[in-house]
Amino acid sequence: MEIQKFQYDNKIVKWFAYATILWSLVGMVAGLLAAIQLYLPAANLNLPYTTFGRVRPIHTNAIIFAFVGNGIFMGVYYSLQRLLKARMFSDLLSKIHFWGWQLIIVLAAATLVMGITTGKEYAELEWPIDILITLVWVVFGWNMFGTILRRRERHLYVAIWFYIATFVTVAMLHIVNSIEIPVSFWKSYSWYAGVQDALVQWWYGHNAVAFFLTTPYLGLMYYFLPKIAQRPVYSYRLSIIHFWALIFIYIWAGPHHLLYTSTPDWAQSLGVVFSVMLIAPSWGGMINGLLTLRGAWDRVRDNVGLKFIVVAVTAYGMATFEGPMLSLKSVNAISHFTDWTIAHVHVGALGWNGFLTFGILYWLIPRLFQTKLHSEKLANQHFWIGTLGIVLYAVPMYWAGFMQSSMWKDFTPEGQLKWQFMDTVTRMIPFYIARSIGGLLFLIGAIMMTYNLIKTIKAGKFLEIEEDQAPALTKEYHAHSKDHWHRWIERKPVQMLVVSLIVVAIGGVIEFVPTFLVKSNIPTISSVKPYTPLELHGRDIYVREGCYTCHSQMIRPFRSETARYGEYSKAGEFVYDHPFQWGSKRTGPDLAREGGKYPDSWHYNHMLDPTSMSPGSIMPQYPWLLEDQLNATNTMAKIKAMQRLGVPYPEGYEKIALKDMETQANQIAANLKKDGIETLPDREIVALIAYLQRLGKDIKAEGQKAEK
Amino acid sequence: MNRIHKIITLAAGLFIPAAGICQEQTVSKSSGYFSNPLFLILLVAILVLLVVILAFTSAFKNLANSDFLTNKYKKDMNSNASKTTALLLLLIGSFSLQAQNAAPVAVSDGRIGGLDPFTFYFMLTVLLFELLLLGILFYQFNYLIKTQTTPAVNAEGKPVKQESKLMHTLTDAVAVEDEASIMLDHDYDGIKELDNNLPPWWKWGFYLTIVFAFVYLIHYHVTGTGALQAKEYQMAMDQAKREVDEYMAKSANNVDENTVKLITDAAELAKGKDVFVASCAACHGREGQGGVGPNLADEYWLHGGSLPDVFKSIKYGWVEKGMKSWKEELSPIQISQLTSFIHSIKGSNPPNPKAPQGDLYKEAGAVSDSTLVKSDSLALKTDSLLAKKIADSLNVSKK
Repeated sequence: MEIQKFQYDNKIVKWFAYATILWSLVGMVAGLLAAIQLYLPAANLNLPYTTFGRVRPIHTNAIIFAFVGNGIFMGVYYSLQRLLKARMFSDLLSKIHFWGWQLIIVLAAATLVMGITTGKEYAELEWPIDILITLVWVVFGWNMFGTILRRRERHLYVAIWFYIATFVTVAMLHIVNSIEIPVSFWKSYSWYAGVQDALVQWWYGHNAVAFFLTTPYLGLMYYFLPKIAQRPVYSYRLSIIHFWALIFIYIWAGPHHLLYTSTPDWAQSLGVVFSVMLIAPSWGGMINGLLTLRGAWDRVRDNVGLKFIVVAVTAYGMATFEGPMLSLKSVNAISHFTDWTIAHVHVGALGWNGFLTFGILYWLIPRLFQTKLHSEKLANQHFWIGTLGIVLYAVPMYWAGFMQSSMWKDFTPEGQLKWQFMDTVTRMIPFYIARSIGGLLFLIGAIMMTYNLIKTIKAGKFLEIEEDQAPALTKEYHAHSKDHWHRWIERKPVQMLVVSLIVVAIGGVIEFVPTFLVKSNIPTISSVKPYTPLELHGRDIYVREGCYTCHSQMIRPFRSETARYGEYSKAGEFVYDHPFQWGSKRTGPDLAREGGKYPDSWHYNHMLDPTSMSPGSIMPQYPWLLEDQLNATNTMAKIKAMQRLGVPYPEGYEKIALKDMETQANQIAANLKKDGIETLPDREIVALIAYLQRLGKDIKAEGQKAEK
Repeated sequence: MNRIHKIITLAAGLFIPAAGICQEQTVSKSSGYFSNPLFLILLVAILVLLVVILAFTSAFKNLANSDFLTNKYKKDMNSNASKTTALLLLLIGSFSLQAQNAAPVAVSDGRIGGLDPFTFYFMLTVLLFELLLLGILFYQFNYLIKTQTTPAVNAEGKPVKQESKLMHTLTDAVAVEDEASIMLDHDYDGIKELDNNLPPWWKWGFYLTIVFAFVYLIHYHVTGTGALQAKEYQMAMDQAKREVDEYMAKSANNVDENTVKLITDAAELAKGKDVFVASCAACHGREGQGGVGPNLADEYWLHGGSLPDVFKSIKYGWVEKGMKSWKEELSPIQISQLTSFIHSIKGSNPPNPKAPQGDLYKEAGAVSDSTLVKSDSLALKTDSLLAKKIADSLNVSKK
C-alpha cells in the first residue's frame, strides 16, 4: 500500500478563528447596546441607525452568522482535514469562502444599519446578499465535498455526517425562505404572504437554530471533545440513532413558534408532537458527549477548554429539554411573546454556542501556535465570569417573562383586565437592568479571552506546515462481515448527502403543501382589501424601522388578549401581507387592531416622543419620521411587484396610485391640522400613520356589515 | 431476536397506560384540569417517575440476563421485574379509570389548590406509591449488587474506583475498565468509538414521546376529543362570563349608565382622579384642559355632559374620533368614580384650556334658561340613541 504524504491547511483555520473572535465581540456589543436601550431608550444616541429596531437584527445576525458561522468554519476546516487525512480540496475555494463570508457580514451590517431589511427574523438580509450567501455556501459545500472525495479515510466519522446534513439543510432552508420579488436593488417583497409566509419563515427560523446553531456544533463536539479528553466516544450506536432521528424530527417542529396563532390547527399540533419527540434525539448528543468523559473527569478539572465544553453540552441539554416544554400549548400560552423565550435562546447561544466556541479556541490556538496558553488562570476566570454572566442573564429574564405574562392575563373579579399594558412594561425595567449586567459580564469574559489568545499568539510561532501521512484509499473494498449495517453509508458520501436531503425534506413538504393548496386552511374574508399605496409605503417604513422586533400583530384566542386588543386574528386577514409581521416578542403592545384606536395626532405626537402620549413608555423617539420626505419614486414598482404576487390591484392601477396616495396623505395632514399639528403631507410620518390606522380595520368592517 | 421481542412487548405494555392517560385527558380538559398548575405538576411528576421505574425495571432485567449473577438469582430476579411492571400497569390502568369517574365530582367545593380532593389525593397516592416502588427497587438492586460483586482490582493490584451503582443502572454501560470489549476498530485522527448500549431511560423516554405524539394527534384530530383553540377560547370565555356574572350578582359593583349617581365622597373622587391621571391625562390634559382630546373642564360637550352620557362615553368610547372604549380596563365602579371626578372639575378653569367643542350643557335645575336645556336634552336623546347603536355594533363585532 502506498503511503502518501500531505500537508494540512492551517492558515484558513487561523483566519476563521480570528474572524470568530472579532465578530463575537462585535455581536455581543450590539447585544449589550440593544439590552441597554430597553431601559434607556436614549442609548440609541437619537440616531435612526442605532435604534433598537435596527440594532436587534444586527445583534442576532452578528451572533448567528458572523460569530457562530465563522466558528463553524474554523472547526470544520480544522477537523475535516484531519478526519479525512487530506488537505482541503482547494486553497482558492477556501479563500473565496473566507473572504466571501466576511463580505456578506460587512454588507449585512451596513444594510441593516441603513434599515434595509426584508422584515423576516434571522433572514433580514435583502435579495442581493441572499444570492451572495447562496454562492458562498455552494463554495463551502464544493470545497468540503471535494475534500471528502479525495479522502484517505474510508469511512466518514459522525462529525462529518453532521457537517453534510448542515450543508444540505441550510442550503434548502435559505433558498426556500428567501424567495422574494425585487422592487429595487435594496428592496424586495417576500413571495409568500400571511400564514404561508409565517409557516415558511418559522420553518426556516426554527431550523436555522437546528442546522446552523446545533448540528454543525454537534459535529464540532464529536471531534473536539473526545480529542481534548483523549477518550473514546461513548456509543457509536447512539450516534447513529440520534443523528438520523435529530435531523428528521427537527424539521417538523417549526410551527411550535406559531402556537395559538392563525396557523391551521393541524400544523400547530405537528409542531407540538415533533418538538416533544425531539427531546431524546437532542439528549442523545448530550449523553454521548458527557458519557465520553467517563473516567476522565479529572481532565475536566485540569483542562480549561474541556471545562467550557462540559458546560456547553450541559447548556445544550437544558435548552433542548426546555424547548419541547415551551412547545406544549399550555406552557406556550404563558411563555410566548415574553422574555422567557429570550432567556431560553440565550441559554443556547451563550451556553452552548458561546462556551463550545471558547472551549475550542482555548485548545486550538495554542496548538496552531505551538505554545502554551498565555494564562490558564485568566482562562479560568473567564470561565467563571462567563458562567455567572449566563446565570445573571437567564434568571431575570425567566422571572420577567413569567411575571409579565401573568400580569397580561390577570383579570379583576369584575371581569376587567387588572393591568394596563404600561404597568407590565414598567415592572420589567429592573429585570432588563439585571440582564444587561449579565450580558456585560459575558462580554468582559470574551474580552479577557481575546487578550489571553492574542498574548498566546504573540508568544508562539504559527504552525504553517503541518505534515501527515496516510495510505491512499484502494478502489476495491471488502466490507467485514461483522460490520454494522450503517458502515455502508459511511463510506458513500454522495448517498449520505442524498439520503440526508430526503430525510430533512419530508417534514417541510408535508407541512407546506397542504397549507399552500388546501383552501380551507386560510378562509377568505371578503372585506379584507389590499393596502392603499400610502399604507403600503407606511408598512415598508414599519418594516424598515424593525417595529416587529417589539410589537406583535397577532392577537391570540385568549380572553386576556381579545379583551385588551379586540377580536382574535384570523388567517384571512393576512393574505396581502408580504412579508407577514406577526412578530415574536411583545415588548410593546400588539398592533393587529391598532387602526382607529387613537386619533392621527396621537400617533404623530407618539412618534415624536412616546412618553408624551403614554407616560413610562420605553419606546425610542422617531423624530426623523417627521422630517424625512417619503420616497415615492418606487410606488409604481411596488404596486407592480404586489400585482405579480397576486395582490388584486385593478389593472393599470400603478398609474393612478400616486394620485390616490396624494389624496389620502392630504386627508391625514388635514386631520392633523385640526388638532393643531402642521405637517407636509409628503413626510414619512403620514404614510406610517396611514398604515397604523389601517391595521385590523378590514375585519371590523366585516362585523358592521354583518350587523346590517 | 429476543431483544426485539422484548422491546415490542414492553412498548405494547407502555401503550396501554398511555391510552388510559389519553382518556383521562379528555375528561379533565372539559372540566378545566389542564389549566390547573397543580394538576399539571402532579401529572408530569407521575409520568416522569413512571419512565424512571420502567427504565429501572428494564435495567433490572438486563442485569438479570447478564452473567453478572448466578443462575439461582436469575430466576428470582426475572419474575420480580415482571411483577413490578405488571403491578405498575395495573395501577396506571386503574388510575385512568378512576380519573374518569372522578370528573363529575370536580364541581364540588373544598378544593385543594384548585383540584377536587378526590383527584388530588388520588394523584398524591399514585405519586407516593411510585416513590415507594422506586425505593424498593433501588434497595433490592443495591443489595443484590453488593452481595454479588467482588471489588475489582487493576493491574497493580489496587482497587479500581467503581462507578456508582445508580450510574450503571441508568446507562447500562460497560464499565470503563472493560471497555476494550466494546471498542470498535474505528480510528479517526486518534478518536476511537465504543459501542455501548443505549441508556435504558433514554430509550424508554424516546418511546414514550413517540407514544405521546400518537395519542396527542389522535386526541385532537382523529377522535376530536381535545378542544382546539377556537373551542378552547369559547370555553374560556363562557367560564369567565359565568364567574363574572356570579361575582357581580353578589357585589355592589353592577353600576352602569342607567344607574350611575353623582359621588361626592372625597375619598372616592380621589380614586377617580387617580384613574384620570393614569389613563385620561395623556389626551385630555392633566387638569382636564384638553390636548389631543377635548377640554373636559368647560361646559361644552361633544357627546353630552350628563352623568349617564359621560359614563357611556368612557365605557364605550367614540372609537372613530379616537376615544377608546375603557370597559375592559376599568371596572364599573372606577368608571363611575371617574365620571363624578370629571363632573367635579367642571368650571375649574385650568391653564391653557383647549377651545370649547360641541354643545353647551347645563344641569337641569341649575339653569334658568329652560329653552336651552330643552333643546339640549333633545340633542342628548338622539345622541344616546346613536351611542347605543354604536355600542351594539361594537358588541357584535366583538363576537
